Amino acid sequence: MKDLVGRLSALDPDAGAAVKVIAYFDQLVEGRSGLEPIVRGAAVLSGCTARLVDDERHVRVRVDPEGHALDEFGPPEPEWLSAPLVPGGLPVLWLERPGPAAPVDAMVLERAISAARGVLDRTRGRASGDPALVEVVLDASAEEPARARAARRLGLPDTARVLALDGGSVRIEAAGAVPERGRVGVGPLVPVLELPSSWDAARTALRFAADGTEQDPGPRVVRADELGGLAVLAESVGPGTKPVADVLALERARSAAPWVLGTLVTFASSPSLRTAATALVVHHSTLQDRIAHVEQLLGWSVRDPLGRLRLQLALALRRLHLHP
Amino acid sequence: MTTTIPARPPFDPELAAALAVINENVPSAFTAEMLPALREGMAALRATDEELSLGGAFVVEERMVPGPEGAPEISLVIARPAAVKTPVGVLYNIHGGGMVLGHNRGQELFDLLGWARELELAVVSVDYRLAPEHPHPAPVEDCYAGLVWVVENAAELGIDPERVVIAGSSAGGGLAASTVLLARDRGGPALAGQMLLCPMIDDRNDTPSAHQMVGVGIWDQAANELGWTSLLGDSRGGPDVSPYAAAARATDLSGLPPAFLDVGSAETFRDEVVTYASRLWQAGGQAELHVWPGGFHGFDLLASHAALSQAAKAQRLPWLRRLLGS
Repeated sequence: MKDLVGRLSALDPDAGAAVKVIAYFDQLVEGRSGLEPIVRGAAVLSGCTARLVDDERHVRVRVDPEGHALDEFGPPEPEWLSAPLVPGGLPVLWLERPGPAAPVDAMVLERAISAARGVLDRTRGRASGDPALVEVVLDASAEEPARARAARRLGLPDTARVLALDGGSVRIEAAGAVPERGRVGVGPLVPVLELPSSWDAARTALRFAADGTEQDPGPRVVRADELGGLAVLAESVGPGTKPVADVLALERARSAAPWVLGTLVTFASSPSLRTAATALVVHHSTLQDRIAHVEQLLGWSVRDPLGRLRLQLALALRRLHLHP
Repeated sequence: MTTTIPARPPFDPELAAALAVINENVPSAFTAEMLPALREGMAALRATDEELSLGGAFVVEERMVPGPEGAPEISLVIARPAAVKTPVGVLYNIHGGGMVLGHNRGQELFDLLGWARELELAVVSVDYRLAPEHPHPAPVEDCYAGLVWVVENAAELGIDPERVVIAGSSAGGGLAASTVLLARDRGGPALAGQMLLCPMIDDRNDTPSAHQMVGVGIWDQAANELGWTSLLGDSRGGPDVSPYAAAARATDLSGLPPAFLDVGSAETFRDEVVTYASRLWQAGGQAELHVWPGGFHGFDLLASHAALSQAAKAQRLPWLRRLLGS
């Protein structure tokens, strides 16, 4: 392709390049290509590595000019050529070379971002909107008329809620489904002028959300509405806070066997040992034996009401340490 | 008689995008009048010795060696791994170009050199005479003469004559298949393998895929007819075409070296290549066949960046590795 677009358009300088770029991306759109072919097209047609990064939607694609997908993502350089997904927004698509953009680069960026926007809207839902407007809506110190105006421009209804997502990104929405991937803290539904408080609550809720991995089992989506008094607990655990003895005991127990933590999380959130056993797909007598074993590791009984509360608190505190 | 356009396998979306660009410059069909300009354009894309050396990994030379009896000498570009002192195997490359275009310093050499670097092989690329100025058997006899010279001069070249793999794409693949048949029938060089990439092997030009892809993609039925007629004249498609011109004409495919074949599902050559692979198996031979969905003719060379091209190209080195056992 490099040969085609480079060498052949050298024979046919101006007329060629723009027509080819347009034809290329039009075909990708018509064929309902995914994001990687679009980024690859940008890289191949511009002759330079290209990347598309949209953390909010968990998109990271980087392709070199020969068309090979790359796994390494250093931070983007500020002088690279880039394009935002929405006018005035933060850049999501980069050509990894400094400007000024040649006419063909500008055309590649424009066509590629337009194609990518279509794919993202189709496959990952509409973006939450212009980041600058989102910032205003969530800023308690901004004037109320400014926040109301920003909310209108974002197309928000009278009430909305904030979703805090992994990596510090944010989504504002009226209601609807939460993202299918990553940790999510769901703020309460509030009048739009109170969105800053929904944002605060969502971030607190996010700290209680688990990765869903063996290392960090538990619910991936946590609603601030359901936290109750636990929200107070979040304020007492910061980045430098020392873990209490029960959290250290949990860590010790965890290192004894890979099933320990998941078993405790499921046990603590199930109404009975039998339902926990069903959820874990083990026989209830097996679970009984395991719990007895873990109790020895922990040093307290988790089956009486007080011990169960102690376990719940230790699990919650551990997650707060994990997500400071 | 119906005139409806037949159903076709769709092009892979990424290849369709590349094709939209490629067809700006290379129409799916071409005419004899376009040959001089196309040849001139390709001549400008001759890889230099320095480029072929891959930064010193290969020692590259061009040798003029004897052609077929009574015919002019032929050029061989020879690239030998610089760091290897023991005899090495050889990839013997026959370029493509529809029997009427191309030269032995084409861009496909860089793929071959990549495999050769991995497996410590030499690459030899032959410059055969082109049709229509030089019809059959000139092209295949040149390819064969070059091969014989390489094997007879193995000691001087520092190569292992037991490990020669012949390779070509498109017309080069067809000439490679025919050269293999010639070598078998004349008791010539014993080849370790044949790599036939989207090979052009059937002058009859009459398979369902040839009809399906009329007017689209690269190298459609009309272009194919021009290529074969350039090589064979009026005898094209008739009863007396030699298998050394069109390998699909061979009635006996036994006793041939292991083959690697690939082809796109959306190209003229799909059916003739699939049939050839089946016939190799039926004759007791070994063959690996890849049919790439939505691939047009030569997609891996013309749109080498596409995901499908990368997948297609990734199959070749492992085959060579298995074949040559290193």
